Amino acid sequence: MALLPIPAGTQPDEAQSPPAAPARRAVPLAVPVVAGASGVVAAELWAGVHLSGLAPADALLRLARRAERFTPRVSLEPPDGLLLEVRGSLHLFAGVTGLRRAVTEECRRLGLTAVLAFAPTPLAALALARAGRAHAVLEMSALVGQLAPLPLATLRWPGKICERLARCGVRTVGAALRLPRAGFARRFGTAQLAVLDALTGRSRDLRSAFRARVRFRRRRELTCELENHQVILATLAPLFAALAAFLTERQCGVVELECLLDHRHAPATRCVLRLAAPMADARRLAELLGERLERLPLPEPVRGCELRSAALVPQRPDCLHLWQPGEHGGGLSSEASGLIESLRARLGEDAIHGLAQLEGHRPEKAWGKTAPPAAAGYRAAPRRRTRSPPVMRRPLWLLPMPRSLRVRDGKPRRRGPLRLIGEPERIETGWWDGEEIARDYYTAADIHGVLLWIFREREAPHHWYLHGVFG
Amino acid sequence: MPRYAELHCLSNFTFLRGASHPHELVERADALGYTALALTDECSVAGVVRAHMAARNRRLKLIVGAEFRLSCGLKLAALAIDRGGYGRLCRLITRARRAADKGQYTLTRADLEAAPPEGCFILWLPGPRIEAAEARWLAERFPGKLRIAVELLRDGEDGARLARLAGLGAQLGVGLLASGDVHMHVRARRRLQDALTAIRLNMPVAEVGGQLYPNGERYLREPARLARLYPRELLEAAAEIADGCHFSLDELRYEYPREIVPPGETPAGYLRRLTCEGAARRWPGGIPQTESTAIEHELALISELGYEPYFLTVYDVVAFARSRGILCQGRGSAANSRVCYCLGVTSVDPQRGAALLFERFISRERNEPPDIDIDFEHERREEVLQYVYNKYGRERAALAATVIMYRPRSALRDLGKVFGLTPEESGRLASVMQWWDGSTTIPERVRAAGFAIDAALLGRLLPLAAELTAFPGFPRHLSQHVGGFVIAQGLLEELVPIENAAMPERTVVQWDKDDLNDLGLLKVDLLALGMLTALKRAFALVNDFRGTHYGLGELPAEDPRVYDMICRADTIGVFQIESRAQMAMLPRLKPRNYYDLVIEVAIVRPGPIQGDMVHPYLRRRCGLEPVEYPGEEVRAVLHRTLGVPLFQEQVMQIAIVAAGFTPGEADALRRAMGAWKRTGGLDAFRARLLTGMHDKGYPDEFAERIYRQMEGFGDYGFPEAHALSFALLVYDSAWLKCFEPAAFTCALLNSQPMGFYAPAQLVRDARAHGVEVRPVDACVSLWDSTLERHADGAPALRLGLHLVKSLSLAGALRLIEARTRRAFDSVADLATRAGLDRGDLEALAAAGAFAALSGNRHLAFWEVAGSERPLALAAAEPASVAEGRPMLAAPTEGQQIVADYASLGLTLGRHPLALLRARLRAAALLSAGELHAAESGTAVRTAGIVLMRQRPATASGVTFLTLEDESGQVNVIVWERVGRAQRRALIESRLLEVHGELQSQEGVTHLIARRLIDRTALLGQLTTRSRDFH
Repeated sequence: MALLPIPAGTQPDEAQSPPAAPARRAVPLAVPVVAGASGVVAAELWAGVHLSGLAPADALLRLARRAERFTPRVSLEPPDGLLLEVRGSLHLFAGVTGLRRAVTEECRRLGLTAVLAFAPTPLAALALARAGRAHAVLEMSALVGQLAPLPLATLRWPGKICERLARCGVRTVGAALRLPRAGFARRFGTAQLAVLDALTGRSRDLRSAFRARVRFRRRRELTCELENHQVILATLAPLFAALAAFLTERQCGVVELECLLDHRHAPATRCVLRLAAPMADARRLAELLGERLERLPLPEPVRGCELRSAALVPQRPDCLHLWQPGEHGGGLSSEASGLIESLRARLGEDAIHGLAQLEGHRPEKAWGKTAPPAAAGYRAAPRRRTRSPPVMRRPLWLLPMPRSLRVRDGKPRRRGPLRLIGEPERIETGWWDGEEIARDYYTAADIHGVLLWIFREREAPHHWYLHGVFG
Repeated sequence: MPRYAELHCLSNFTFLRGASHPHELVERADALGYTALALTDECSVAGVVRAHMAARNRRLKLIVGAEFRLSCGLKLAALAIDRGGYGRLCRLITRARRAADKGQYTLTRADLEAAPPEGCFILWLPGPRIEAAEARWLAERFPGKLRIAVELLRDGEDGARLARLAGLGAQLGVGLLASGDVHMHVRARRRLQDALTAIRLNMPVAEVGGQLYPNGERYLREPARLARLYPRELLEAAAEIADGCHFSLDELRYEYPREIVPPGETPAGYLRRLTCEGAARRWPGGIPQTESTAIEHELALISELGYEPYFLTVYDVVAFARSRGILCQGRGSAANSRVCYCLGVTSVDPQRGAALLFERFISRERNEPPDIDIDFEHERREEVLQYVYNKYGRERAALAATVIMYRPRSALRDLGKVFGLTPEESGRLASVMQWWDGSTTIPERVRAAGFAIDAALLGRLLPLAAELTAFPGFPRHLSQHVGGFVIAQGLLEELVPIENAAMPERTVVQWDKDDLNDLGLLKVDLLALGMLTALKRAFALVNDFRGTHYGLGELPAEDPRVYDMICRADTIGVFQIESRAQMAMLPRLKPRNYYDLVIEVAIVRPGPIQGDMVHPYLRRRCGLEPVEYPGEEVRAVLHRTLGVPLFQEQVMQIAIVAAGFTPGEADALRRAMGAWKRTGGLDAFRARLLTGMHDKGYPDEFAERIYRQMEGFGDYGFPEAHALSFALLVYDSAWLKCFEPAAFTCALLNSQPMGFYAPAQLVRDARAHGVEVRPVDACVSLWDSTLERHADGAPALRLGLHLVKSLSLAGALRLIEARTRRAFDSVADLATRAGLDRGDLEALAAAGAFAALSGNRHLAFWEVAGSERPLALAAAEPASVAEGRPMLAAPTEGQQIVADYASLGLTLGRHPLALLRARLRAAALLSAGELHAAESGTAVRTAGIVLMRQRPATASGVTFLTLEDESGQVNVIVWERVGRAQRRALIESRLLEVHGELQSQEGVTHLIARRLIDRTALLGQLTTRSRDFH
């Protein structure tokens, strides 16, 4: 007997499922377990997990890490597949049913929906799971029969190949398996034939094993309670030393470092350091953290501390510049960006900005704040061609708000009559954002000879305003 | 007050810089008392004709000029002093434009030296930084003609600038004059000008910054204001320069090309000779007396008006087409003359239908230029265009331009960008305001559409959109006219500049057809028409199969069986009368002769429909209403159409005889009719028409209807002169459909895409008329569909390889060539000998074209996949070596149909709905056949594949659907309310279930939809496509 055609939704034959009474409540049992007539048990048994629902990007990795407790042979099939070789673990988890329940439980805990299928070859287990068939095929002889009705899409072949097969009327795994081997290979590629062979166990499917990724995490419990920032920093020193060794070993740097300070009652104080570029220099990291810690109010004395890194980033070793910064086009030095980072750590992200002249004719909008130059590789901000704004005629010091001027006999006054010098500059613009201006600007001298920049509104009633003072 | 002339002024024909229309500038300058205005658009004279027409009856003098910015940055303007100067200005523009891509220009100092614009005044337009070297260079090249333009724009440095330029002028001995760098006629256009700048730079206006002008001084300033800014002598100097320019566009004289007349002959003599020769051909048994009198009369009139060269130009093009075997047909006012019949420009026998008076189309009094449009086979028109270019040269022949105007949609899209909206937001805004006419405010409507947009922003955006879309349409760029050729005796580029079009090898003049008309320059329209291609092929197929010698207009005339078929509305594929609106009209109008066809072609148009003329005409035709005339004067105009005005010409003649329009006014009216949707210029005639007709005692209601009809003609004016020519194509195509359906369908298939129906419907219709249609077969089919002889001698239609989707022509030709040497014995043999690549082989397999070689499609694909080998192995290892026959299931009928549609767009198997019929019947849905048998007024349900969606502008929101199933078609009417409520089903369904009420009258059945349900899922993978018309 090659297969047991049990449609999904019916109860499996009790005689053929291994005794797994307690599992019944937790696991949907509408799942056939298929054994061959021969009773010969295959050498390997693979559990294929297919994450069916929407899963976050790192779900597979997290699941893989958890799955390492079932078997040392875990293999990833991104983006949504995971394979476990479980022949050796079956007896530890009460057989297929117990294992199914355990894996399903792991998925549930991670908030994932998954389909789990067992088969003697990894690809078969995965294909079954992808097709939504949570079968357990335990024996080689039953395999082909179970695979035959699966759509070809479960093999994830390139769309073009599937399309060409579909045009020949081949839409299921079974139909593909029926084709002559040589003819199939010639038309659809030896790679695809190899997949079919791996699927049916005709050839061995070698897979690379999964290894969990590492992060740095080290704790230090304190024997006394500390309040002084300097002392706390000093206690962190061994942790930083460990971090330095850790990073050097792996030739990696960090872009995010978190320091947790535990208290007796209050929740732990978190202090997170985010860096613009990967950094491996533990001393520098300690300095930056020190800057940050200093400004951090501690609700209670500290009883323990912990240092955690986010994922590691490969770090290229630094090379030194031939030129000094600023020399022969040498870039902004790392000291400068270091300064900016230090200032930011001390004063906050928003405390630092650059200044730039902006385009536009409205004097109050002719300059603005810009981001300070980036830490890595300073480049001049792209500049658009300007129509050479008449900067020369404008004072460096503008009033935050134009100040109304008194008028006598149609002449503006400020501590006495003002004398208009030269001709007016007319500015009419800014209608698009509700701050339209229409003004005639004049340079004027007051009775002390101080040069002022004043304007007269073009709209009635033609008020006069002071807008700036020349140096 | 000093005299002043503005010599540096841009209109909105300097696209996306100028913010005022030429006529606005002219009117404003005149009102301000300027002595003259020079229109100096940037490297263009595209706007001058409009300015010229506006200045015609004014005191203001118009000067033609252009502004240039050289590659080196030097900016100058050239003003034409006389005709010679104008010619050289045009040549300079042509040179600059032809050297760059469409819409751009490139001009260098070397160009200026090589083609100096002599006969022009040159204004140096110094930039913000005054480069004395520029002035020196210009002063050396244009001694005496150069002036320095002093443009004081209140940027705070006017005084310094004036002083510096005065010094420079004195040093170089060059005079100064005042000018204003005008971009708009009033300062209120400043916002629009800023917005246009932002559109030009393709960035939000808030980010443009310094490239905006700092203030709005670039307008036509009042002379009093100028007098305060400028020294008096500078203003006077501008006026003096203007006095020195005395060129007017009225001086342009158009001359016909001379080579159309053989040496030693006069145009009149040559035309007479050609006409007589043609007459002898047309009437081999001798020219009837009436005809020869009429010909003499026409020749006399043509001679009197001096139109011989025009007829000869047209004849020359037609003669070329005939020599190449390209089918063509003229239409238009002069085309229906006996002279044109004799010249072969038209094939409409003047004795056919009503005897026509030449004066109806061309007359002494009306100052209309003769108008002949020539339609050519659409696939071969390019040959004719190239002939014209080659014969007259690119310096003497070019296409007319079309000025692309802002439409509400494009205006909102561009302005959306200006205000920093995302393309999606702009698109939504545009769709909300789709039918916005620019006059009403609609923030409510925008909000009602659930569109959260800042009200203040909308308040700034909408007025600008209104300015862009308002009368007479804001120009955006120049494009090429569909086929209007201007041909000149002299150098065309001395008449009007020529620039590059988007298509390679195409050149256009800078004026559009109205401009050309205004100046009396004649153009010939060379258009493309798909039906001529189809007719040409059909004649060839029939003549080949039957041994006949049919040609256009040479089929047996007035066969009653043809009219019987037309009256049954059995007209799929027939020219013009195949649309569903036409098909609905045919059983009511019941055409029985040629002139009825003329009426049929013209009646289903917005004009008669909006004028409410259709039903009165039908009632009178059926004798349900007496034929009466609203007045004696119009009897002569309307007697052909039973007292109901149907044609554009009739409406104009009514304006003359019944409302007292002068012929000149009528001509202006004709032009306004054609463009009122775009320009809104028809209102001006309304009062004139209504009072005129009222005074002559016509009922107001009749006058109103005439006016509405004029508005309708604007959408798609259809003159009798064109309908007369089209009717011939209607009759000939109907005759072919009636007696040679196989050849007719074959020709239509070979001429796709054209017409109203897709190949699937054409083939289905042919089979319904008893034509045997044979499938595409790689062993038999040629590229085109062909006729094969059936055992009983009847023609059978063999589908051609052209229907096979994604099969390359080159591959198909190699296949046919290899096949003629020796028949193929297998797919592998075919692949090897024809050298087909995988794409072509798969295309053929998908089409089922290997049925004879390999069996079903699955096996065909298996073989195709196997016949592609790595090149190195090709010789060593034959394909079929020891390869087992695969176990492949045969495709099901459903799969076959799906594959047929996917590859060929049609199936010779059952209709897809036949497979679904059992399920549809279970859902109580009727087939089309059952529906037509049902009684009017019953509530019915049906389902069908959506063939077509139409939403005619005349039908006020109604959508017409055509559904198809295995038994026929159903016409569905979806009222606006129903359509709006069930929009998704209406727009997205491919298989649509409709519940509604049946309405049949006079043999026309409609289903009035109440409920629409999308059943597309039932079709599975079947690909159908509806043709949607708006």
